Amino acid sequence: MSSITGTALARKDRFTALRREVGRALVALVIALGVTFVIVMFTSKAPMEAFSNLLVAPLGKPRTIGLWIDDAAKLTVTGLAFSLVFQARQFSMGVQGQVYVGGLAATYVVMSPLGQTPFGLVLGILAAMIAGGFYGFLPGLAKAKLGANEIVSSLMLNYIAIDLCNYLVRRQLAEPGMTMTEAFPKQSVFPALIANTRIDLGLILAILAVCGVWFALYRTSWGLKLRLVGHNARFAEYAGIKATFIMVSAMTASGALGGLLGAMFVQGQSFGKLTVLFEGGLAFEGILVAIVARARPLAVPFVALAYGYLRQGAQLMNIRTDVPSEVIGIVTAIIILLVASQFSLPGATFWAKILGQRTQTVPASQPLENSQK
Amino acid sequence: MMELFAAVFSAVFFVTVIRTTTPLLLATLGGLVADLSGALNVALEGQMLVGCLTAVIVSVYMPWYIAVLAGLGVGALLGLLMAFFALKLKADIILVGFAINILASSGTVFALTLATGGDKGTSINLPSKGIPAVDLSFLGAIPGIGPTLVAFLSGHSVLSWVAAFLVFAVWYFLYRTPWGLWLRGVGEYPAATEAAGIPVNKVRTWSLVVSGALAGLGGAQLAMFNYIGFTRDMTAGRGFIALGAVLLGARHPVGALLAALLFGVFEGLSIIMPGLFNWIPSEWIHMIPFVVTILALILFSVRAQRALALRGAK
Repeated sequence: MSSITGTALARKDRFTALRREVGRALVALVIALGVTFVIVMFTSKAPMEAFSNLLVAPLGKPRTIGLWIDDAAKLTVTGLAFSLVFQARQFSMGVQGQVYVGGLAATYVVMSPLGQTPFGLVLGILAAMIAGGFYGFLPGLAKAKLGANEIVSSLMLNYIAIDLCNYLVRRQLAEPGMTMTEAFPKQSVFPALIANTRIDLGLILAILAVCGVWFALYRTSWGLKLRLVGHNARFAEYAGIKATFIMVSAMTASGALGGLLGAMFVQGQSFGKLTVLFEGGLAFEGILVAIVARARPLAVPFVALAYGYLRQGAQLMNIRTDVPSEVIGIVTAIIILLVASQFSLPGATFWAKILGQRTQTVPASQPLENSQK
Repeated sequence: MMELFAAVFSAVFFVTVIRTTTPLLLATLGGLVADLSGALNVALEGQMLVGCLTAVIVSVYMPWYIAVLAGLGVGALLGLLMAFFALKLKADIILVGFAINILASSGTVFALTLATGGDKGTSINLPSKGIPAVDLSFLGAIPGIGPTLVAFLSGHSVLSWVAAFLVFAVWYFLYRTPWGLWLRGVGEYPAATEAAGIPVNKVRTWSLVVSGALAGLGGAQLAMFNYIGFTRDMTAGRGFIALGAVLLGARHPVGALLAALLFGVFEGLSIIMPGLFNWIPSEWIHMIPFVVTILALILFSVRAQRALALRGAK
């Protein structure tokens, strides 16, 4: 077989897979929104108003569009962090903690004399990434050397990081009685790309992170080894790959991304200072982004955009109507459950016949299965 | 320092520890049953949280025992939901678990808003009930040790006694009944049990249901005895600590009891310490259970590895 047809076939195969994944994600989204609609119908006094806020409000004003894009950039980075560990089949859940230690490290650098210099911005980001990487390295090391379960240890580190941040803000960084620091020096805050919105340097960093993670996973030997370990750790071990090294390095790299997200929070236009509990639960939503994107870095930003839109819509709905924003959690959970499982719609074969497709036995798609790309 | 020792070796502290241990112990037993069947239940946290809220809301309208049963039932339902997605629809069980945690964390706040008509994050306006304490003051009639017995044994929640009994019941079930053997076999080597004609998925489904029920029971204890009422995310990582306690307890019911007691002691310390040492920042005290969990996990893993090396297993 000539290599050309081989490539063409692979491309066609890839396209079918892509279409199937996108279709599944959309069906999951529609089901989740349907369930939410029913819940809102029964609980809200003005269900239509609430639902229209959820679906169109983010596009209402330039400011809300800015909020959406800013959220999407942050969701992209946390989605990438989860994708990296998921690809290696590690369930490290420590992004939240990494965001806090990253934010703290960036704050210490930026509030030092260094923050007044032109290097403050970059040094803040680097400090955050190093701190986050170290925080991701800890559960990796504990697992590789001692076999300590990474789910439990990374979750515990999250709680510890939150307490640490609360303590340091209260006792050291802020004026007594305040829960936030003073505003960072101007040189160290991410410049806004579009004036009067929250769209800032973070967006560019997020795009760079997508490219970086894609390159590392699919164009380096480290990435190949990482994906092999994720597929079958024992096989990888037989093939001479040091699975433990890959594991620890994947968690460390993921931690660095978590730290970067911390810097994007505190140095970004949204805050420009350190406050307690600044992350607001966003880090964990990277799980959803990574799962729906099937842990593929190039798909992550699209999922983040879509999910960020819903998230923003839910918050606007929370402000403007009687439906609390927590309803988005129900959407999230249903989407994760549906996308991670092999659900099939009743009558799927019927529709396939109508649309003139051959009924195909859909291969059992494992949750984090990753084909070529 | 002396005040701390005096406080720790008092009957009051013992009662506190039993109180803090009970929800953890119930969740740990739940985690143990699921873990032994080979289905890691990371949704303990969410199941506890939903158990808390259900118990609180039901207790407003019903007697306390119905509320406790409701907490247990809703936990079991979440376990069933988990089994449906993880075993029937073949989703990854850890992802399903986290989906349930997310559902619980935001779903409880949402449901609470509905139940209270707008209150976000606390049920302070709901007249919810508590679980009664078991009064054993009649033991005081025993000459000599009577008063001591009363001080140590009286005043515990009904569920604390239930939890203590459940440790024995779970042990008996796992090691003295054929179903327990099935369950452990399914967790140990599913292929062999499958070949022996044991329905692997059915066993796992039941263990997930029981696991969720125990976590929900723990939630009921938390929201109806340790605290009266619901606050947002009130489980505060207890479900995850329980997951660590399962491993720390060497995946054995008695070990689970000891591990839960260890965490209970540290939680008890974090309750009495602010009164004794007001110079220690509250955040540090708040960190104690989490730091202890990590340290315990590491220490246990070191020991387990050493034991493995001793056995010559490479």
